[in-house]
Amino acid sequence: MSLRLEGVSYRYAGSTATVLSEVDLVVERGEVVGLVGANEAGKTTLCLVAAGLAPATIGGRLQGTVHIDDLATAAARPFELAQRCGTLFQNPATQLSGTAPTVWEEIAFGPRNLALPLAEVVARVDEAVRLLAIGDLVRRDPARLSGGQAQLIALAGVLALQPAYLILDEPTSQLDPQGTRLVGDALAALAAHSNAGVLIVEHKTDLLAGLASRVAVIEAGRLVAAGPAADTLADERLPGWGVQPPSAVRLGRAAAAAGVSLG
Amino acid sequence: MTTDRPTGSPPGPPDFVLQAPSGAYLSLNPATKLLVAAVEVEAAFLVGTWTGPILVLLLVLASAAIAGVMPRLAVIVAVTVPIVASIVLINGFLYPGAVDVFVRIGPLAPSVSGFLFGLQITLRLLAASLALAVAYLATRTDDLLSDLERRGFGRRATYVIGSAIETVPRTVDRAAEIVDAQRSRGLDTEGRWWRRARGIVPLAAPVVFGALTEVEERTMALEARAFSTPGPRTVLRVLPDSTPQRLVRYALLLALVAMIVGRIAGPLGVLP
Amino acid sequence: MADAIAPSSGLALATEGLGFVYPDGTRALEGVDLRIAAGEQVALIGQNGSGKSTLVRHFDGLLRATTGRVLVGGEPVGQRHVADLAHLVGIVFQNPDRQIFAGRVRAEVAFGPRNLGMQGGELDERVTAALQAVGLAGSEGVNPYDLGYSRRKLLGMASVLAMATPAVVLDEPTTGQDARGVARVREIVARLAAAGRTVVTISHDMTFVAEVFPRLVVMRAGRVILDGPPAEVFAEANWPTLATTYLDPPLAAREGTRLGLGATPSEASLIAALRARRAT
Repeated sequence: MSLRLEGVSYRYAGSTATVLSEVDLVVERGEVVGLVGANEAGKTTLCLVAAGLAPATIGGRLQGTVHIDDLATAAARPFELAQRCGTLFQNPATQLSGTAPTVWEEIAFGPRNLALPLAEVVARVDEAVRLLAIGDLVRRDPARLSGGQAQLIALAGVLALQPAYLILDEPTSQLDPQGTRLVGDALAALAAHSNAGVLIVEHKTDLLAGLASRVAVIEAGRLVAAGPAADTLADERLPGWGVQPPSAVRLGRAAAAAGVSLG
Repeated sequence: MTTDRPTGSPPGPPDFVLQAPSGAYLSLNPATKLLVAAVEVEAAFLVGTWTGPILVLLLVLASAAIAGVMPRLAVIVAVTVPIVASIVLINGFLYPGAVDVFVRIGPLAPSVSGFLFGLQITLRLLAASLALAVAYLATRTDDLLSDLERRGFGRRATYVIGSAIETVPRTVDRAAEIVDAQRSRGLDTEGRWWRRARGIVPLAAPVVFGALTEVEERTMALEARAFSTPGPRTVLRVLPDSTPQRLVRYALLLALVAMIVGRIAGPLGVLP
Repeated sequence: MADAIAPSSGLALATEGLGFVYPDGTRALEGVDLRIAAGEQVALIGQNGSGKSTLVRHFDGLLRATTGRVLVGGEPVGQRHVADLAHLVGIVFQNPDRQIFAGRVRAEVAFGPRNLGMQGGELDERVTAALQAVGLAGSEGVNPYDLGYSRRKLLGMASVLAMATPAVVLDEPTTGQDARGVARVREIVARLAAAGRTVVTISHDMTFVAEVFPRLVVMRAGRVILDGPPAEVFAEANWPTLATTYLDPPLAAREGTRLGLGATPSEASLIAALRARRAT
């Protein structure tokens, strides 16, 4: 049981450019995999393909196979995919439904769409709230939250579908330092207490260093490196691939080059 | 979040979610409120020249007071003031064929009948739009959507209606940012009108592109939350309804038809 | 390339007791006294809602002070039109997609200078120089939306650089940028500084500001709470103050303190301090 991309190549609808080439990637339940790369290297596309949103919702041409556990995404319908793999995007504002007067109802949006019995809807909302420790936000108006809070609610909304896998595309890039910390802490708690398999795209390699067990690097649509987080984030080729290594790695390298030690 | 409930019964949504709105007008079923608004809108245009709009305005103000939405209604009224003023002024000064003109200054020919005509149009428009506004302000969006869904409207249609209003403030914010950015690049919005006209594309294009991008992002986010699952959604709270209300709604539907007949046949047109 | 950013005498920017209240009653700025000398480079840091964006919008007249004064080049701004102040202060906003409207990169960059009255040969030179400065020289005929997000952000920067204003404000220039984009932004700031221009940036990236800007101004709830060089702002003595607004000092500062080396906010200063210690 895992999220598997095998030999995946992808072209957007109406485009001749191949954005992903021959990508092989596996995300196991319970592990956090980081994905880094320069802008336009294909990180977002890989997220959409892994979640099945491409091609199910946005079309395009997919070669190779993507399986979320036993479901092949090529033939699946969006609501089937949503229950197995949740996706969180960069912009908090566009992810909230805009029709819920309270955070509680916003989180209930997904389970309600699935026409689950009311008791089940309530249980799922309560569980998502507990996992992310946002009990003090349930009565609030979703439109009046800070960026970091809104992103947490969006995450709760996705978790309420109880997916086995979670894909996060630069979840903190639009947030201020406080929001980044809020979401970062919530993700750490999630990683520790749930068995979801997580794929997270981030420029903030410092954040990934604390969160991911494995890291993959994408360049021009191909995975050029993958391995344990500590090793990959210390790979000397990272800057050449347009990725800034974590602060600790940079400082360590600068110290070594100057012949001093950070003791 | 969930409070005391009889032991053995399954947990329900928290009180603040279940809270049924109370109050004579607020507790009415959304469909009832919508039908009342529809009848009011029709009356504003079909019943007499002044009787209809004035009666409707009084009714609207009364229901707004009962529902406690006066402050928010006041905001909407404030927004309509420029439109109202311009209609009155244009008609007042430029009403064709007026015989009671008091002075002519170039193309301007202010006349009493012109101002009266302008006033009459604005009263009708105000009555109609405020009737709809009160119905909207006094109804929870989600209740309205659930009710429409129950009556067979598709999920997508109801979502579009519900979210359309919510996206207005965000579009306004985005537009404000665009205006700031272009003004900072020297786009003149404070000078002569011919220079301001040059700003249409630089102001409008990013709004349009932004709206398109946002539609794309929202669609994906909705799909990621199983929005396109077939079948009706789980209902969170049962909407208040009753036999008297149902009867009233049938009566209102009849009234809608009767008013049209009454106007064509004559009697309603004779009223002042 | 040498003339990509022409020398200038810079521009002083100042606020005296600046207060600003939004129409809905939100108090965004309270009694802000800030003096930026001509040719100085300053970074404004703080959480969203601290007043940073509100503050910079006073420098080109987008917002007018509710109380206090704003001075540009030593002169009070008064009621001067934004279109006038745009000759003096250029603001690069955070989201390039909230300003791009032209079908070609070149036309997009030419918009600003043309509004300022530049034409003909001078206009062409400015646009070319600006595109070179941000690394988009080969993309003049490209549709801006065919560029990726990083390069659209650089396009936004070029659009303002072409206006050749003595003061430049950069709102979150590194947000959403990859490593190459960040490197390019650093290069542009360095060239602006070398050309004597006043540069003000708003940023959430503590490492970026510590390494690039000689002066940091920390804001919280509409007020300035710290103002000084990075070594001072990120010194251990100020960590409690920074904590009140949930800001973390960069790793170099924390390592320097851990190793007892004093204030070392940047990689360079940390390495220098380590070398100095080893030499003793």
